[in-house]
Amino acid sequence: MMKSNTSVSQPVLRVRNLKVDFPSSRGRVRILEGVNFSLYPGEILALVGETGCGKSVTAKSILNLLPRSGVHRHGEVFLDGCDLMKLSNAAMRPFRGRRIAMIFQNPQSSINPVFTLGEQIFRLIRMYLSDEIKAVQQRLNISGRAAVGQIAKERFEEVGLTDVERLLKSYAHQISGGMAQRYRIATALLSSPEVLIADEATSALDVTVQSHILKLLRSLCRRKGTSIVFITHDLGIAAQMCDRVAVMYSGRIVETAPTLSIFEAPRHPYTQGLLAAVPRLGSGKRLANIPGMIPDLANPPAGCRFHPRCPQVMACCKEEKPPQQDIDEQHQVACYLYGEHVPCLPTGHSRQPQGAIVE
Amino acid sequence: MSDLDFKQLAEKAAADHRRHRRYLLRLVFKKRAALAAAAILSLMVLAAVFAPWIAPYPDQGKGEVNLADRLQPASFNHYLGTDVYGRDMLSRIIYGSRISIFGGLIIVVAAALIGVPLGLLAGYREGIPGAIITRVVELVLSFPAVLLAMGISIVAGAGFATAVIALIIPWWPWYTRLVQGEVISIKHMLYVEAAGMLGYGRVYILFRHLLPNILTPVIVMMLLDFGPAIISIGLLSFLGLGTQPPQADWGLMVWEGAPNILNQWWIAVVPGCAMFILVTAFNLFGDRLKEVLSIDSNQ
Amino acid sequence: MSRACRQAIHASLRERLLNKAIIQLNQVKTHFPYRKNWRGQPAEWLRAVDGVNLDIVAGECLGLVGESGCGKSTLGRSILCMAPVVSGSVLFHGKEIQGLNDAKLRPLRPKMQMVFQDPRASLNPKMTVLQILQEALFICPGFDHRRSLERSAELLDTVDLRPEHLFRYPHEFSGGQQQRICIARALATEPEFIVFDEATSALDVSVQAQVINLMADLQQRLNLTYLFISHDLSIMEQVCHRIAVMYAGRIMEVQRAQALFGSPRHPYTKVLRDALPVADPRQRRELATLPGEVPSLVHPPSGCRFHTRCVYATDVCRDAEPRMSVIDTGNWVRCHHHEHLQANDELKAQPLNRSTEIKETP
Repeated sequence: MMKSNTSVSQPVLRVRNLKVDFPSSRGRVRILEGVNFSLYPGEILALVGETGCGKSVTAKSILNLLPRSGVHRHGEVFLDGCDLMKLSNAAMRPFRGRRIAMIFQNPQSSINPVFTLGEQIFRLIRMYLSDEIKAVQQRLNISGRAAVGQIAKERFEEVGLTDVERLLKSYAHQISGGMAQRYRIATALLSSPEVLIADEATSALDVTVQSHILKLLRSLCRRKGTSIVFITHDLGIAAQMCDRVAVMYSGRIVETAPTLSIFEAPRHPYTQGLLAAVPRLGSGKRLANIPGMIPDLANPPAGCRFHPRCPQVMACCKEEKPPQQDIDEQHQVACYLYGEHVPCLPTGHSRQPQGAIVE
Repeated sequence: MSDLDFKQLAEKAAADHRRHRRYLLRLVFKKRAALAAAAILSLMVLAAVFAPWIAPYPDQGKGEVNLADRLQPASFNHYLGTDVYGRDMLSRIIYGSRISIFGGLIIVVAAALIGVPLGLLAGYREGIPGAIITRVVELVLSFPAVLLAMGISIVAGAGFATAVIALIIPWWPWYTRLVQGEVISIKHMLYVEAAGMLGYGRVYILFRHLLPNILTPVIVMMLLDFGPAIISIGLLSFLGLGTQPPQADWGLMVWEGAPNILNQWWIAVVPGCAMFILVTAFNLFGDRLKEVLSIDSNQ
Repeated sequence: MSRACRQAIHASLRERLLNKAIIQLNQVKTHFPYRKNWRGQPAEWLRAVDGVNLDIVAGECLGLVGESGCGKSTLGRSILCMAPVVSGSVLFHGKEIQGLNDAKLRPLRPKMQMVFQDPRASLNPKMTVLQILQEALFICPGFDHRRSLERSAELLDTVDLRPEHLFRYPHEFSGGQQQRICIARALATEPEFIVFDEATSALDVSVQAQVINLMADLQQRLNLTYLFISHDLSIMEQVCHRIAVMYAGRIMEVQRAQALFGSPRHPYTKVLRDALPVADPRQRRELATLPGEVPSLVHPPSGCRFHTRCVYATDVCRDAEPRMSVIDTGNWVRCHHHEHLQANDELKAQPLNRSTEIKETP
């Protein structure tokens, strides 16, 4: 299941040093302080982190969906060699939805409530799939209108929605959460986008429905060659369906690695703590926890933002942000515990851990 | 832990909360328009309170006629000119502001005092009491407010007091509606349920949990209602149903100046402008306060 | 084992349970008016809880798991007399509490408390933590301001907060701290029984672990009985002794936590377990799914509530309501075929998913 060729092929989406500032009552708040990741063709990347770590902001800033007033974005977002950050809002339009699609946590509220599902998907089909409409028209010898209906029906069935006729006439509030999320997936994948960003797409759903949606996403994207950025706080989902995992903490990706290596040998102390805090079936052990709280973004700790909670904190952690280090080709971690890079330290400081390691 | 420690802790927290309130206040005045509005409001209120000392001709402000100086334009003797009876316009404006501000205050406060308790009751007891109050509110609101007030003034006789009462009657249902809606959304909050789970009764929950949480929108609405209330009083006076001459009232002054508007324009325009400035100041300040309070509750 | 023999065992176990049970539910039904006719009387009912039998033993943590809309929160509220129970009985220490009026319930209230899912919404934003805790303390006898101050500081200490937090407002705290304040409020009245209604669902993984550990410590230290309501089976196993599985207003299975995961008896339990994404990439598997939609609680299915979505359903399941089949002390399952399924290795080996039309294409 693990993609071995990821390092060989070119990434579809490359995010470099993405920084986002928000205005607040206590001055500018740096929500993202340099996010780096690459998404390779056909892969599913999990973006894992806790509330307020900047997962959703990362997703939204890729598509420039952040509120306009006062928000500053810096950095580079390359899709196929084209820097999305340099594009104006109008120039972004062909990318949004068509080449990068996004689905959200609350499916019902991300569907326009005043149009039927049919009206909405028909419009999208006419917008994105004019060639396919013509092809279907010729193949089945039917009118353009009927062809659109036919395509809609096929796409609905593809995501496991039955009773299509009734659904096409329904409004968002008349369908269940699971159905709404399936409909959103159908519309998001309509234009066969290169990248799908799923922002907590299953968090509001029940487990049995969630497993449906996860399977669906995985198989559809495999078939269409769409890469997924799966934003979630649930490490179970990351373990079960993602190829690589990027762990975020307070505006930064602290560790990126293939799923297996991050779960088997987590390097960053935060990743280690997070994994220890996950309840596991059959272990029956007491849960470990990370002491302290997530930092106040308006007044973040200097250096590594995790240092006040880190059990292996060193003197240098408090002074300068640790750079990204390579453990191996696919495993990067932003921590001074690894690699040779040590910032200039005043004499007397050592790289020895100061705190005790939690069990 | 000793009493002293608790006292210290409480003091420290209180200091933090005071600092937060000061910060909010600073935030309100960070917007220039709000600062200007507040300055104008305080000036006008001060002028109204100290009218006998500030007005250049206090007697004329109260209505004394001075036929010698009729229809004077602005000059160093009369900064804003004089009206048909030769009375100093500035003094009249200052005395008139007493009526406007005082009348607006009474209307808004009385409307809230009647509307809020009824709204609390209607929202909290959705059964028969709620239905009755809702119907009454709908009934009153289905009349055009000013027409209703005019009707009342005509029946009860014109005058400042009747005008104010006539305006309170169509005014309070808005507060009932606001409060009813707020209470319905708050009463299903979990903290209300938690209090119920501790065995607390309805009256306690009403006053301890619901009332404090609906006060902010009520206060904002009162501030924003000041302007319309002042305009309505002026309108009734303009129509001859409110304050009676020779008392000074902005609406009345506009009416008195209307026949001469082409030759002596200032007699009608100056009180009109005064009303415009006061109402705009209230609206600007109220809007900004609402903005800051909503920012605060979102944080 | 013959049916008579099983029933005899059942009876004796039940008696043993009864002596220790702090809460006993017998055929509890909680219905809400759903649609009203022209006279304003309810014509249809939403059967959120529809005939639940459950015993909660003193000192245990009983988990109640189910999907959204299955009535698990309503069941929790029914126990605390905060929901309109239409029939059945709720016994607390063997005494009937269902149908008591407010005045008669008041002395019992301190003994039973609840912690909700959303800590932010369960704390009044206009009250300081001290005022919130005092509200709970003042219903107990013998608290003046001074004593309540001391006790509040003590309570905060119990939940790992500091005395200076007493004078702060709820919005000054993070989600995890707010939930700890809620727990402190629940502990203030020295209860014997606490319902946790999805109390950790809104929290982050690391904070959730803090709160769960706190809960477990408190239970041991203060000898509390918990009803832990959640939709997340993986947490359940961590904190609960026994787990009850609820589906469409009914309890389907009650088992010891380990046994429930090891050998679930009810097909629904098995789906729930197998749909859970396990945080271990070495244990990747096909996640189980259920066909169809959650049944309406207004017109629940006949017979076994689960038969519309169950792969093992037969005609019996549609026609007859399955009885409680006791497995051992306090553990039972409500399924016509559970013995057959248990004996059949197929259930163990094969994952339960009928609706896998979406095949993975490599």
